[in-house]
Amino acid sequence: MEKVIGLITCNYSAKESSPLSESRPIASLPYFGRYRLVDFAMSNLVNCGIRTVGMVMPYNYRSIIDHVGSGKDWDLDRKNGGLFILPGSAFGTSRTGSRFLLRDLIHNKAYFTRSSADAVICSTANFVYNVDLDRVYDAHKESGADITVLTKTASEKDSDVTAVDAIDGRVQGFRHGVNFGDSMFLDCFVINRQLLLDMFDWYAPTDYLDIFEAMAGDFGRVDVRTYDFDGYVAPIFNKRAYFRANMDLLDPRISAELFPADRTVKTKTHDTPPAKFEVGSHVINSAASSGDRIYGSVCDSILGRHVVIEAGATVRNSIVMQGCVIKSGARVENAIVDRANVVPAGTELRGTPEDVLIKEKSHE
Amino acid sequence: MSKKECIAMLLAGGQGSRLGALTSNVAKPAVSFGGKFRIIDFALSNCANSGITTVGVLTQYRPYLLHSYIGTGEAWNLDERGGGVAILPPFATQTGGAWYEGTADAVTQNLGYIETNDPEYVLILSGDQLYRMDYDDMLATHKANNADLTIAVMPVPWEEASRFGILTAEEDGRITKFTEKPKKPDSNLASMGIYIFSADLLVETLREDANDKNSNHDFGGDIIPKLLEQGKRLYTYKFEGFWRDVGTISSYHETSMDLLGPNPAFDIFSTDFPIMSNASTRPPAFVGKDGDIDDCLVANGCQVFGKVKHSILSTDAYVGARATVVDSVLLPGAVVKDGATVVRAILGENSVVEENVSVGSVDQTKDTAVIGNDVVVGKGEN
Repeated sequence: MEKVIGLITCNYSAKESSPLSESRPIASLPYFGRYRLVDFAMSNLVNCGIRTVGMVMPYNYRSIIDHVGSGKDWDLDRKNGGLFILPGSAFGTSRTGSRFLLRDLIHNKAYFTRSSADAVICSTANFVYNVDLDRVYDAHKESGADITVLTKTASEKDSDVTAVDAIDGRVQGFRHGVNFGDSMFLDCFVINRQLLLDMFDWYAPTDYLDIFEAMAGDFGRVDVRTYDFDGYVAPIFNKRAYFRANMDLLDPRISAELFPADRTVKTKTHDTPPAKFEVGSHVINSAASSGDRIYGSVCDSILGRHVVIEAGATVRNSIVMQGCVIKSGARVENAIVDRANVVPAGTELRGTPEDVLIKEKSHE
Repeated sequence: MSKKECIAMLLAGGQGSRLGALTSNVAKPAVSFGGKFRIIDFALSNCANSGITTVGVLTQYRPYLLHSYIGTGEAWNLDERGGGVAILPPFATQTGGAWYEGTADAVTQNLGYIETNDPEYVLILSGDQLYRMDYDDMLATHKANNADLTIAVMPVPWEEASRFGILTAEEDGRITKFTEKPKKPDSNLASMGIYIFSADLLVETLREDANDKNSNHDFGGDIIPKLLEQGKRLYTYKFEGFWRDVGTISSYHETSMDLLGPNPAFDIFSTDFPIMSNASTRPPAFVGKDGDIDDCLVANGCQVFGKVKHSILSTDAYVGARATVVDSVLLPGAVVKDGATVVRAILGENSVVEENVSVGSVDQTKDTAVIGNDVVVGKGEN
């Protein structure tokens, strides 16, 4: 897809604050052991042949840059094109909910004007799904639409997800928050590049709005259509959704769908040894990442890289992130243990299945 | 170590015929090991960890996987400007072309590569050994001894000395005698096939050897005896860590098992001298509700629904429900389907053991079972 460039916006935050997203942008939230949320947006773009991707950064971009580097692990270290790090405005993380803030796009106009691509595929960084964007782009061209937005029918209420009101696939408007049965916007759309540049002029006076908010009165003249995606989707805007989207991957059917051999999810490679399940370890219905050393008991849980579960330690229904050590006799249950924590011997971290406990990242 | 003070020539062309089915379609250095590594990772990582950034890899037998695996060398930080990894297969010249005949001949045919880099020292390595060694330290010894050739040696049990090329040395390490597989060894220092030559001497010696019709062009058999005869300064460099040449199925199997248990003989988790590999990006390993894993290395992408004990599951290996795997090595992509049993076996890459089929035997007097790469074992086939 030489005719298409990508854009990923990372300059926004969840409305609900949590220790997980206080210490990092949502884009770099660790997911399923070895990934970060932004891997899905990046892999979706790269897997359909896009080799030019701009990323709009939030002010606290350290962990994103650390993760994406030169873009090499996504084949985005190209002579022409490749990964472009684009500065975001200070507005971004003010919890307005804007994911495609006009100001962030207009400030980086050069990224779009210097390209000769026909279209731009824009995406945020905290939806988990694996989509064949080739098909979306083909549908976009076929229909002749100005903009094609990726949608899916919502299976529950979510106040952070944007609802799309459409009649026969033609979009009439967008709303904050979805209810069961609504068409939810998957924060991914195809737009003709020239139209995007035109919009920068049209909407410059209201550049503090999200591009779709600015468009509110224009759905008559701008042809926006939906593309309904029927695969697995997890919007991750709060702790509950984050926890569940991780646990969903303990269902091999879902992990097979998200990590198919022909559309792999790329991430930063760390090159660590395989996980070691030591003598006497007891692990069921769980995922273990490379570099783990497991001596104790792990059930219904997900372990990040380089986690040590000492003998006599128990981890149940929990997410233990990279570099944590669960000492002998410690119990972790219904919890998310953020990076680099040491849970001391004999202690307990316990939440409930409805309200998991978060042990925030250790900065040591 | 300055950039071109020392370059490495890594011999990776061998078939490894004694590894049987495992090398039927790949060269021995490309054989998978330890869950996520390939054998050549150890030599390449040693080079990178020792600051040797110019490495010629001499390939010949079934090189495709090996070549694509090495790539630009970036996985070992060996993608350096003005150096890095160079893959050196046999090539043709105006006077024709020839296969590599013997270890010394392979290097002789690539003297041009050595001369282009113009190093002071040349390190000769094998791509099929498992060990961690700081070649920089070996080079320091070479320089301190003002040696012409330094050979890495390791003490072996006296009763096994007759299986090795044995070096007899004086107290200060100066080598006085080399005997290939001596019946009555007078030393237990075995050559590891790791050499540091002063470059000028290497070039001169190889040129002479190339014209010697009676030579087999082998470092051990021809070059070392010649240099000893000429009274050159040959010294040992003593190594006392873990070192294995996984030349046979049984040694491959044993060495794999050495990575397991509470205090493994070889610690692949050590981070100060890391073994690097050209890693693939696969999801974490998954253990199902009835999965049962004890004393195993399990790489990314594995899925385990059955019982696995004292085994190595390499990247993307699969063990189905009610299946049992014991004392075995599953190479990348190997599949053990529901209800199958695999005991003391090595399953090749992307091989398949069909449902309820049994492979291998607990009987220690029997050989380790080997299933070749891409082979499917159905009912009544083994």
